[in-house]
Amino acid sequence: MRRIYERAGLILLNIFFIAICFAVLIPILYAVSVSLNGRNSIFGSDFSFIPKTFTLENYRAVIFGQPVLLWLGNTIILAVSSVCISLLAAVPGAYSLSRLRYRGRKTILSGLLMLHSFPAILSMFAIYKLLSPMGLINTKLGLILIYIGTMAIFGLLNLKGYFDSIPIEIEEAARIDGANGRRTIVSVLLPLAKPAIIVTGVMVLIYVWNEYIYAITFMTGESNYTLAAGLYSLQATEMSGSWPIFAAASVVVSLPILIIFFAAQKHMVSGLTAGGVKG
Amino acid sequence: MNGKKRNTLSAWVCNIPALAFAGSIVVFPIIYTAYISLTNMNVYHWFDFAVIGFKNYISALSVVDSGFLRALGLTVLWTALNMILQLVIAFVMASLLNIEKLRPRKVYKTLLMFPWAMPGYVSILLWKNGMFNPQFGLLNQWLSGWGSEPVRWLAGDVLAFICCLVVNLWLALPFMIMIMDGALQSVDKSYYENAMLDGAGWFTRQIRLTVPAITPIIAPAVVITLFTTFKQFDVIYLLTQQVGAKTGANIHTVLTYAYENAFVTNNYGFSSAVSIIIFLLLISFALLSKIRRPGNEKNI
Repeated sequence: MRRIYERAGLILLNIFFIAICFAVLIPILYAVSVSLNGRNSIFGSDFSFIPKTFTLENYRAVIFGQPVLLWLGNTIILAVSSVCISLLAAVPGAYSLSRLRYRGRKTILSGLLMLHSFPAILSMFAIYKLLSPMGLINTKLGLILIYIGTMAIFGLLNLKGYFDSIPIEIEEAARIDGANGRRTIVSVLLPLAKPAIIVTGVMVLIYVWNEYIYAITFMTGESNYTLAAGLYSLQATEMSGSWPIFAAASVVVSLPILIIFFAAQKHMVSGLTAGGVKG
Repeated sequence: MNGKKRNTLSAWVCNIPALAFAGSIVVFPIIYTAYISLTNMNVYHWFDFAVIGFKNYISALSVVDSGFLRALGLTVLWTALNMILQLVIAFVMASLLNIEKLRPRKVYKTLLMFPWAMPGYVSILLWKNGMFNPQFGLLNQWLSGWGSEPVRWLAGDVLAFICCLVVNLWLALPFMIMIMDGALQSVDKSYYENAMLDGAGWFTRQIRLTVPAITPIIAPAVVITLFTTFKQFDVIYLLTQQVGAKTGANIHTVLTYAYENAFVTNNYGFSSAVSIIIFLLLISFALLSKIRRPGNEKNI
């Protein structure tokens, strides 16, 4: 008798989880289904999650009818340069904060921790007012500077936390074996810190990919938009019937991030928790 | 002595690039914001602004209908509701996921991760245009299928606030569930056997054993979430306050309020004063949360 109760409970639990997972995914499934649906029957109440007439027309319209490829190019330029420059700047800084002891180190660290809680939106106007006399508004260079500066603190803290978790004995052993300082760092420490470097890079990439508020405020003209700013400008208004195209664009924009997220997931936990800060 | 000095020098050289970026994009703009907050800079006084002292602070903090205090109150309510709901729901979900004989646990976990993996602003825009849209949104399609009148989800203050809350929970719960799940798995199972022998019921076991056992493990993640919830901008801005596409609901958190005053009503001095007040609040929270957790010091 007890086993029957247990079986029934387990079946109920599985039904519960299937229902919850489905409910959670509804907004995404709905967008995917609308983007693939041929007849725009979105006003009818006979909607189903499986498209009745399958078509890729909306995707064709997004990729060739909108400057999406241009936006993708802009985003890639911004993302790659931000990731490379912030890693080049943050790795040596984080190393020195973790391994060396010198005057001003504690001041830097407590300053960084304090600034980490500062939301970038609050100083947006000041940044605008500072960059505009330098002619950096509406340029990629201006946005790259902003993205690197905003993520520099996260990069330093996250990498420093991970360097802290690598035992110093490994470096000492390498030194005893005759490796000099630079050699120790390049061929011993950096390979060990790979998960944290990957995660920090991925976090900068995701940040740049998803950042829309600076991009729409500082950039004018469709040709300068990033994917995020472009998607923002594509939004369906209450009147227009562009919602299926917007849905297709959302899928196109999200796919690379979903792939990167699930590919880096293995490193995500160790690379983020050791640093103790979440971007 | 000389060697020590050289070490200090080379350590600083390592730090200079990153600190220069942070300094020019974060620190200097904060100082400049503090300066603007003492002036009457607005769209009429773009270049010929004058220093007016603490007037902006006084009007933000003492004039009740200036909107800042209302936004601050709403932000506190928003943070409190979000944290309570997140902790309770994540605890229940993680407990259910940890029931021993639940086989397809991994599939459920992966599916539940999706809202976290999706780009946040895309999800929010999908909610706005796909679910809440008064004409072709899915919710109103369902309502009309049942013969009810369509609802303008994001127009009224209370309803729009609830919609924002739902979307934020949808975005934030996966992270919290994963944290709870990890914490629950680290609890020693033998405690429960002893408690069961002593005749403690399910509820008593959760309150007396599980909650105290997981509290220290989830504490850092909870503090981080507390900050991100207080600083939440995207959900409320994208759902209700988009420039040129406001839905009519008058709900603001402190961040959307500061943004509105800087870029919509162009009241730069006032907006900067609000920004500095928020920054000071955040710093004092950060200091408080550090005093409460002395174990944190080993990080430095």
